[in-house]
Amino acid sequence: MRMDALKFVGKRLLLMIPILIGISILTFAISNTIPGDPARLILGPKATPEGLEALREDMGLNDPLYVQYGRYMGGIFQGDLGQSTYSQKPVSADLIRYSPATFELTLFAMVITVLIGIPLGIISASKKDKIADQITRIFALIGVAMPAFWLGLLLLLLFYLKLGVFPGSGRLDSGMSPPTYITGMYTVDALLTGNWPVFKAAVMHLVLPGITLAAITIGMITRMTRSSMLEVLKSDYIRTAHAKGAPENRVLYGHALRNGVMPVITLLGMAFGHALGGSVLVESVFSWPGLGRYAVNAITYLDFPAVMGVTLLIAILFILVNLIVDTLYFFIDPRLKHN
Amino acid sequence: MLLNVNELSLSLKRAGKYSKILDQISFQVEEGETVGIVGESGCGKSMTALSLMRLLPEKALLEGEVNFQGEKISGYSKRKLEKIRGNQVSMIFQDPLTSLNPLHTVGTQIEESLLLHTKMTKKERRKRVLQLLNDVGLPRAEDLIDEYPHQLSGGMRQRIMIAIAMACEPQLLICDEPTTALDVTVQAQILELMNKIKKETQMGIIMITHDMGVVAEVCDRVIVMYAGKIVEEGPVLEIFQNPKHPYTQGLLDSIPKLGQRKEKLGSIPGTVPAPENMVVGCRFADRCSHAMDICRTVHPPMIGIKENHQTACWLYEEGDEKDGSIGSHKLEAALH
Ligand SMILES: Nc1ncnc2c1ncn2[C@@H]1O[C@H](COP(=O)(O)OP(=O)(O)OP(=O)(O)O)[C@@H](O)[C@H]1O
Ligand SMILES: [Mg+2]
Repeated sequence: MRMDALKFVGKRLLLMIPILIGISILTFAISNTIPGDPARLILGPKATPEGLEALREDMGLNDPLYVQYGRYMGGIFQGDLGQSTYSQKPVSADLIRYSPATFELTLFAMVITVLIGIPLGIISASKKDKIADQITRIFALIGVAMPAFWLGLLLLLLFYLKLGVFPGSGRLDSGMSPPTYITGMYTVDALLTGNWPVFKAAVMHLVLPGITLAAITIGMITRMTRSSMLEVLKSDYIRTAHAKGAPENRVLYGHALRNGVMPVITLLGMAFGHALGGSVLVESVFSWPGLGRYAVNAITYLDFPAVMGVTLLIAILFILVNLIVDTLYFFIDPRLKHN
Repeated sequence: MLLNVNELSLSLKRAGKYSKILDQISFQVEEGETVGIVGESGCGKSMTALSLMRLLPEKALLEGEVNFQGEKISGYSKRKLEKIRGNQVSMIFQDPLTSLNPLHTVGTQIEESLLLHTKMTKKERRKRVLQLLNDVGLPRAEDLIDEYPHQLSGGMRQRIMIAIAMACEPQLLICDEPTTALDVTVQAQILELMNKIKKETQMGIIMITHDMGVVAEVCDRVIVMYAGKIVEEGPVLEIFQNPKHPYTQGLLDSIPKLGQRKEKLGSIPGTVPAPENMVVGCRFADRCSHAMDICRTVHPPMIGIKENHQTACWLYEEGDEKDGSIGSHKLEAALH
């Protein structure tokens, strides 16, 4: 069984290679068909045609696309993602610098998604059509339907400007210095070093962007948990549990829950990808110094190596998370173990 | 008397409005007795079984009385009923794969009844589970305990269901088509097991089936249901030799005789009416070759043909011993 799981993971890791090549070709092609000339953007309006041409030649922009792509991929295998034209630094260094902030925000959003979404879905299903269910369903619908930037602005207006209970931008209070660098995620690092004031500030700063980012995924997970639980509660083995004399709560938590949560786990993998993508907008609203804001800047400055780098990193993360999810099934669903 | 069901009626919400699924069902089960409930699909056999323990879909309206060992359990609270379910009254369902929890091991599922209803220690429970697996004829009990339902064959799963049902030594066992989902050879083995259990215990059994062969094999008495009503009731031998209601006669005609090809079977033309378009008179009238005017206007009352043998049909009068006998070859045919 251990062997099976290993084989399964190995196969999936191999499968990642063609997927990543596909994604890289796609982003490369798209970023090169966007009208705009990085050389002109770098040199500004006063550039001479000769200067532009020389820079283009220098950056390799005059070579055929496949040559440019080949050069890029060749670099990747040596850990070189190119030079960011905007920050003037290697893209890999930028990614390392900005990704911990995004991971922290995304993970925080996923934790509240699980802690709120799944229990709400269970309550909703077990109180089907009652008032608790109606209210939950309305909230889930709002969460899914409300645009993230709009919700972000509303939360800022209410909790930051009006009530002043939560900070509205950045990762720490101004003047506070970050904790000792371990993972780059301030909450984790502060916790590891026992730095309570920084920990508290970091959590407070996470609240508003975290809720904004999680609103959609909470809605998704709540709805999925509800419908999956309702489906399970109709099944024959639930009737068997009742026929055995199991009380309502035992049936719900002992029999229905594990079966009902199964499909939700797959959706959690999806939700993680969704949250990573959503961080682009949310980070801009809350001035969160992460990958999302870096990507937005990169796009506005036609900084192709940076855009490519962010896209590939997010794609790899997304695939990895889904691989973890699939592997998890291997351990919780006995039907997979024995096939 | 073990079970006494008195004028049980059930309405379920279908397509936005309530319709009557069961109409004034009354019957009894004695200790040690096996009572068959037969009828075509949709006659309300399963709903009758589920009504007894109130394992009904939501929005069910139940009227009438269910008395179990002299206690009126139809008035019990849910919590009080849970103490009886799986303890004094157990159920076995049609599809053993979907009726078992796919994520729990066989051992856990059998043990649960013991956990819920007895004060046994963990060790005692394990011993009892092993013994139960043995009792239902499953080999390698020690390994089986840690296996999951999907690893077992259909027949083994149904034996597990039986083990679950027998765990607390119930006084009443309700089986809802326990063999329908199984192959013919496995069906025979499960029926054999049922007969063995029947001999060894003083349990009352309700055996729901649409197969007259199963009735002949295990039952002492039969109740014939049609469209939510009981149309005939009597001892197995009597029903097979002297069926009165045209519906019962039709059901018996659909048993294959030795050497007869399946396609040649007589079957009753037409289908069971849906609960929402029930007629006032006899519900079988539209499919009955003996139907008279009165059949379509007034529902026939249940009348006694003989001691223990009753039917609801206008063709007969109280104590009527008119023919209708089809002969004992039916029973023999059914037993093969
Ligand atoms: N959940 C439900 N809601 C509404 N009506 C239902 C429900 N389940 C069953 N019924 C209806 O109740 C009637 C009796 O169904 P029941 O399942 O008791 O039949 P049955 O005799 O057991 O048939 P089968 O041999 O197919 O199992 C049918 O008309 C069916 O359509
Ligand atoms: Mg049925």
